[in-house]
Amino acid sequence: MNHDEKHQKPKTPTITLRKFTLSDVDAFMSWAADPRVTRFQRRDPYSDPADALAYITTHILPHPWYRAICIDNTPVGSISVKPAPGEDRHRASIGYRLAYDYWGKGIATEALKLTIKAAFEELDHLERLEAIADVDNPASQRVLEKAGFKEEGILRKYVRLKGETRDMVMFSFLVSDAV
Amino acid sequence: MDEQTTVINRSRQPLTVTLREFELTDVDDYFVWASDDRVSPWWRWDTFTNKEDVLTFMEETVLPHPWMRAICLDGRPVGAISVTRRTAEHQCRAELGYVIASQYWGRGITTEAVKLVLGTIFGDMEGLERLEALVLVQNVGSQKVLEKAGFTKEGILKKYLIHKGKISDMVMYSFIPSEN
Repeated sequence: MNHDEKHQKPKTPTITLRKFTLSDVDAFMSWAADPRVTRFQRRDPYSDPADALAYITTHILPHPWYRAICIDNTPVGSISVKPAPGEDRHRASIGYRLAYDYWGKGIATEALKLTIKAAFEELDHLERLEAIADVDNPASQRVLEKAGFKEEGILRKYVRLKGETRDMVMFSFLVSDAV
Repeated sequence: MDEQTTVINRSRQPLTVTLREFELTDVDDYFVWASDDRVSPWWRWDTFTNKEDVLTFMEETVLPHPWMRAICLDGRPVGAISVTRRTAEHQCRAELGYVIASQYWGRGITTEAVKLVLGTIFGDMEGLERLEALVLVQNVGSQKVLEKAGFTKEGILKKYLIHKGKISDMVMYSFIPSEN
């Protein structure tokens, strides 16, 4: 055993958020084509970059708030904020996905913290950010807690995911929960 | 006045609660709770002041609603109850809403109506697995209705809905037939 080994937690790399462009399609595939990442998503992994390109074009580029999570300007994941429909514009939900090789380094937590700050600054009238995580996805629950989200309860049989009805943990971050 | 009815009311015997679809001819009864200032604070709509507006509301919202019923007491509408199903990946769930004229509060009528819905809705809506209801934290009466009907309180969603211009905390309740 090497007693000289320093048992320090590796530092989270510096991450930035930016808008997607069509040329990000290959980077996008690095998580969107990975079943380990899409496990808790409604969609199946992409196999054809053409489908990914169509998704970037029709869903990501026109989206009200969708960002690439970047290390050295290279996307390693994405994070999005979707305002609630209808009258409840004070409320928006967050979703995020990260390439598997970048899990466990604090990147998602950092991306969430940056997003929380930006969302409350940029989105008019926003007072509540919310996120749901599958009860069987403790890693995502921990990320949300570390970013300052508070668990509000378990919503049973809340969404359909790949043919199954899932229990989801609801989290919120209020404008009053200052970062 | 019908003496039989008066006797029954005074002795607080359980009265027959039934559900049926609304008709436009129910407008006079609908107006009773729609125009009631004690009722509308709990709802997103404002108190109706004339029957023509209620008629329009019934034509545009009530009658076309996929699942809405009159709560009837001995055959006469005293309130309304609705189940609104979500779309797409959320089709497994639907939201329960109900309103009853204030003179009938506190008599178990709404609880009975909710139980009637629970007995029929999961058969009516294929694939429905969760019936949920969101209640203002200050609406203790409505929370009691759901608890007596067998719903589970799952948590408080803070600053969840805008109610009468104010961002409000809501209590989330649900009924899962396989669990409740």
